Amino acid sequence: MKNKSDKGENSCSRREFFKIGGAVAAGLQVGAVAGAGLAAGKDPSTHTGWQHLGDNTQFVDRSKMIRKGPAYEIVGETLRPEMHESAFGRQALIMRDMRQYREMIKSFDAGEERQEGMGNRRPVPQGETSPETTGGEKSTKDDTSFPPVEAFKEPMLSWYKNRPDLYELDKLRVEEIMPKKRKDQEAYGEYYTLINAWSDSWSTHESITEPPEESDFKIGRRKLGDARPFKSPAHAAKLIKKVAHHFGATMVGITTIEPDWCYNYNLRGSKERGSYEVPKHWKYVIAFGVPHQWEQVNSNPNSGTSFDAYSRSSIAARRLETFIKSLGYPARRHSPMDGYDLIAVPYLVKSGLAEQGRHGIAITPETGSNFRAAFVTTNLEMEIDQPIDFGVQAFCEHCQICADICPSSSISKADSNEGMNTRGYKHWEINQTSCYNFWMQSMGGMGCRLCLIACPYSRKSNWLHSLARKVDSKDPTGLVDNGLTYMQKNLFEAPEAHEYLPPPDGRFANFREPPEWLQVKNYLDIDVNDPSIGD
Amino acid sequence: MITNLVVFAFIVGILTGAVVVGANSWALALGLRMSWWRWLLSALWYILLLFLLFAAFTFMGEGEVAAGWRTIGISVVLMVILGAGLARILLASRSHPDS
Repeated sequence: MKNKSDKGENSCSRREFFKIGGAVAAGLQVGAVAGAGLAAGKDPSTHTGWQHLGDNTQFVDRSKMIRKGPAYEIVGETLRPEMHESAFGRQALIMRDMRQYREMIKSFDAGEERQEGMGNRRPVPQGETSPETTGGEKSTKDDTSFPPVEAFKEPMLSWYKNRPDLYELDKLRVEEIMPKKRKDQEAYGEYYTLINAWSDSWSTHESITEPPEESDFKIGRRKLGDARPFKSPAHAAKLIKKVAHHFGATMVGITTIEPDWCYNYNLRGSKERGSYEVPKHWKYVIAFGVPHQWEQVNSNPNSGTSFDAYSRSSIAARRLETFIKSLGYPARRHSPMDGYDLIAVPYLVKSGLAEQGRHGIAITPETGSNFRAAFVTTNLEMEIDQPIDFGVQAFCEHCQICADICPSSSISKADSNEGMNTRGYKHWEINQTSCYNFWMQSMGGMGCRLCLIACPYSRKSNWLHSLARKVDSKDPTGLVDNGLTYMQKNLFEAPEAHEYLPPPDGRFANFREPPEWLQVKNYLDIDVNDPSIGD
Repeated sequence: MITNLVVFAFIVGILTGAVVVGANSWALALGLRMSWWRWLLSALWYILLLFLLFAAFTFMGEGEVAAGWRTIGISVVLMVILGAGLARILLASRSHPDS
């Protein structure tokens, strides 16, 4: 009996243990889920299209690695670096002196030919000692020959006299290594076609100053080589999308040119400012873009900028243009920093990157309206993409958040875009002039971008927003649309439309506070008037 | 990142096991006669609680603190109502407590 009782007590205490343990585990699990939620919300990897290091700007905390003392021990006279000390800098000086040396030799040879028969001893040009004393030999007519030390001008002359070892290395490079490289290039260069195009792309920085018939067929002053054939249009599209992503494009789509969507004036590089015929080699349009910096974009309209995404998409466009040209196909970029010859939104829609929203701009599945576009037109034949439908049209019809929040009332509050007609095409249209007038009133980087960020689709790609977007796009009933719109309007705080205006009507409000690193009070020792408080 | 995820999944897995064992002990202690669908309802209530908390704190993490607190407020009301309903269902099956 005693044993049975003990067993009962043990059983009871074990159950108590499980009960308490279970309750504690449930509490811990709730805490863990809350913590995971916080981490998911903060997770920098959800900043689609932006590389980010999170709260830290360094991977390693260096505060514990700090050592005392100067960076270097001084062991002699300190000097600033001179151009001829580095191999790169010296190469420019070598080329300069070699050019002059060869010209001198040429003029000397011409003179020698004229004086043929006057003796075979070759006079030593001024500044050059005889080959016997320099080690320099006969082959002055050969472009690969390296001049003797005495043929160089200062500072190279003194440098080579003091550093004969470097003279020999430079000579080796010019006389043997570089000619061999040229031969290797001829023999194996084709094998490296793509990496050369890739490399060219990253170094591009030219501006458009000539009409398409000229500029699209050149890289700098160099004419395009022969077009390298692709295995198929699908291969071409796959490669172009892949490299565009590497060049900085977050999303890429391909479509064909539509003359209606090319501006009818001011063709870049052309002297004619009026109407023009769309160049025949603009057959395909590669559409792409990148989002604004996610931490900062929320602080529109008065503490935002367009130029972060403008710059990144424009740089991607330059790179992609050069890449295509390097493969022998004409190409022209159309980007915020270099200008457009075509209208952005229709091509984003046609290339399947986005739908056009109530606010007139593009909404992508990945980043919503937080997106700045650039394009490259080319005749490289590629497999094209088709327009997409992920529920934006239906959503925009009842959402109206952008219209409600627009400080200039430029966005339509109509129930639908029925009856709207923009140059023959039906889509949502806005009052551009009143919109632009508000740009001129806003502070910070000029512009507004409020509709861009107030759009419920413009959310980071964390699990919550990704799930909402996915479920919404699959719901034919409209219930999810309504639920999400209700949540957006009632859970999330935002200033009223008039608050974004300048005082006295508003207070230069922002959709959200700027990140701490863009707030003057945190870093600058200057007197400022906070417009939200007043003078 | 993936390492953190694996560690998190491991810890949550252990906690889930402990919660299941603890829930069974509570059911026995309270004299609840748990059928499969009562367990299912209880699990769904608990999962919904975790889901709403996860969502609320995700809002907070991405800087939408007000949205996070509002979600918690709505969640508490919702979970209390659903919890009351669940308790009625579970207690209806109650026999004499086991301890």
